[in-house]
Amino acid sequence: MSSKRRIAATVVVLVAIIGVFVVRLVDIQVVRADTLSADSLGNRSVERTVYGSRGEILDANGVVLAGTVMRYDVALSPKNASPFTRTVDGVETSIPLAQSVAEIAAVVGLPTEKVQALISESLADNPKSDYALVARQVGVDAFRALSALDIPWLTFQQNPGRVYPNGAVAGNLVGFVSSAGEAQAGLEVGQDSCLASSNGSETYERGADGVRLPESTVTTEPPVDGSDVITTIDSDLQFFVQQVLAEQAQKTGAAWGNVVVQEVKTGKLVAVADYPSVDPNDVSATTNPDDRGSRAFTASYEPGSTFKALTAASVLDAGVATPESEVVAPFRYLPANGANINDSSAHGDLRLTLTGVLIESSNTGTSQFGERLTDQQRYDYMTKFGVGTETESGFPGEDPGILHPADKWDNQTEYATMFGQGLTTTALQVSSIYQTIANGGVRMPVQLVSGCRAANGTLTDVPAAEGTQVVSAEAARDTADILEMVYQKAWLADTWEIPGYRAAAKTGTAQMPDGNGGYSKGYLVSVSGFAPADDPQYVVSVSLADPVNMNSSAASAPVFQEVMSQVLKKYRAVPSGAAAPDLPDTW
Amino acid sequence: MSDNLARVLTTETLRPEFDERRADERRADERRHIEIVSPSTHTRPRVVYALSAVACVGAVIVAQLLLSVGISQGAYEISALRASQVELGRTADSVSEDLIRVSSPQNLAANAEALGMVSNSTPAYLRLSDGAVLGAPTSASGTQAGAADLVPNSLLTGVPLVTQLPAGGQGTSVASGAPAAGTATAAVRVADGLPSPTTR
Repeated sequence: MSSKRRIAATVVVLVAIIGVFVVRLVDIQVVRADTLSADSLGNRSVERTVYGSRGEILDANGVVLAGTVMRYDVALSPKNASPFTRTVDGVETSIPLAQSVAEIAAVVGLPTEKVQALISESLADNPKSDYALVARQVGVDAFRALSALDIPWLTFQQNPGRVYPNGAVAGNLVGFVSSAGEAQAGLEVGQDSCLASSNGSETYERGADGVRLPESTVTTEPPVDGSDVITTIDSDLQFFVQQVLAEQAQKTGAAWGNVVVQEVKTGKLVAVADYPSVDPNDVSATTNPDDRGSRAFTASYEPGSTFKALTAASVLDAGVATPESEVVAPFRYLPANGANINDSSAHGDLRLTLTGVLIESSNTGTSQFGERLTDQQRYDYMTKFGVGTETESGFPGEDPGILHPADKWDNQTEYATMFGQGLTTTALQVSSIYQTIANGGVRMPVQLVSGCRAANGTLTDVPAAEGTQVVSAEAARDTADILEMVYQKAWLADTWEIPGYRAAAKTGTAQMPDGNGGYSKGYLVSVSGFAPADDPQYVVSVSLADPVNMNSSAASAPVFQEVMSQVLKKYRAVPSGAAAPDLPDTW
Repeated sequence: MSDNLARVLTTETLRPEFDERRADERRADERRHIEIVSPSTHTRPRVVYALSAVACVGAVIVAQLLLSVGISQGAYEISALRASQVELGRTADSVSEDLIRVSSPQNLAANAEALGMVSNSTPAYLRLSDGAVLGAPTSASGTQAGAADLVPNSLLTGVPLVTQLPAGGQGTSVASGAPAAGTATAAVRVADGLPSPTTR
């Protein structure tokens, strides 16, 4: 009987103990499970940002114009800034605060006092201050040097930076990003959707000594790298063109200028140079915000006489004139509608052909050809040539220019639009007009970006490459011949001569607005043309604004000559040796 | 009923007895044939099994321990390798950044200029098929596109030109690759001369 009782007691005790265990088990495994496992994970797991890198901007040959590099922001904890011990040659040495501050300052390139002040000011502001930024985006070498200092209160934060290895070469086109990585200008903005990357994150667990536990990495969100933007720019040529432009602009005292080099057959922009140009690595060095963009895209102005090529092409295409058509060009021409047109310099009546009118760049002669078309006809030709609308380049903030509808033209504008006043164009639009004439009357879409290349090599956003016939091939050919006569016979023939080559070109000298509705004393001097004339390959269009030391297109002609020579040499455009046309310019 | 049961029982109980008896006789016969079976052969296998089982458990524990040590050793190794991969990646990035920087046109142009090179703006071509000269050849004037600093590149600040490098300098500086180009001053000789048309 006693054994029975003993058994019963044992069972009761056992059940009680098991009961306790079960309660505890349920409590741990079910009731507090989430909290406990979160706590334990929190002790071990580390979440880390994995940076996606912003895409590169490349030139046509794959040269990096803008790339992403890893940089490091250096910060210190003011409240913890105090002497610490460092092991030097196996000996524990105490490093006084002044020494570590001096060491930091030396590496980041700041005066020691500045770093010292940073600490004391932060502490004065807030005695518990735990964060003060010492330097933003330091390079790998500086980062390593700072890490080697072993200062416990110095911290580093990865911060991907943007680098522009070619500096100001194509700087105005590429644009730049802010220190926070936000696109600010140029293609960085225009192609942001292609370039943009997104950061991901990964979680891993680590042991007490900070070593990552095997197989514990969990990628919570994969980073997405940006795609690369491939431009049509040739960085070597771009450098050369910027160099030539800058030299001439400085020599002539021009306020600004630009040069566009465009491929005739494809409409691709090979170089778009601006002066002054921004170095995206050092944006603040360019003080005027207007100089940080590309005026070739964003500034429109009255083109002046280079526009006469468009008028000539229009009248030739409409069949109301031939290159040999004759007019008498007086100094002053007073059309029936009451307008008052005069040439730039006094002269007697000239018996000129259409060719001669362009060689002499006579406004009165051009007016007599232009008026053979209705205003609406001329307006239609202009819009077909791309005047009044942004080009297809996709550059942010591109200026469409001003082209009022034909019925809004007043009497003077009706004539002024024949020789490039009373309307505005960008350098790109002028280049596009010459591209159309050089390409047998077929206008190709202006291309600056040839696509967005993803990591797997697929090219998206490839621009349309279908041309539109603006004027007939014959009209374009005749206009090209006229422009070749201009190149041979105009007053700048010696300045822009490229030995051995046939070229076509036209000057322009347009009055510039003074900003108050009138004209200033400055001129926008330009030369646009293409070569080789017998098989046009490249358009070069040069504009200089207000070259105070030489206020005529003679200022821009040497740039045209040098750039066109270089373009022909670089792309191995072999002169054909065929004879140039010889059209009569007078009668 | 009881009769039946009793009868069944007798037959049921008798048969095993009978069988057992016969089986004992058979066993006795066998014992007679195979003589000595020592008790040690009965007990020894059991010890071996026990030992081997214990050894197995021990081996498993040791293996598990070793494996675990191995894995944690691997974790340290991976960690170290990862760190060195990151470091090497940084070095690679930084070096290629330097390379891209020194291959910028500004640097190349400045170096070419420093070495006395000039660019010729008037191209001319020699057509090999008939010896025709295309273009108008003239010697380089060296006046083209002046000083290379018109198109700034702040990244090149402090990068020396090839001509400014100390003689024989093969340091680890950014432009250390450049002297090789500078020392190649020997005139280039064409073995059989350039292919040229016969001139009469």
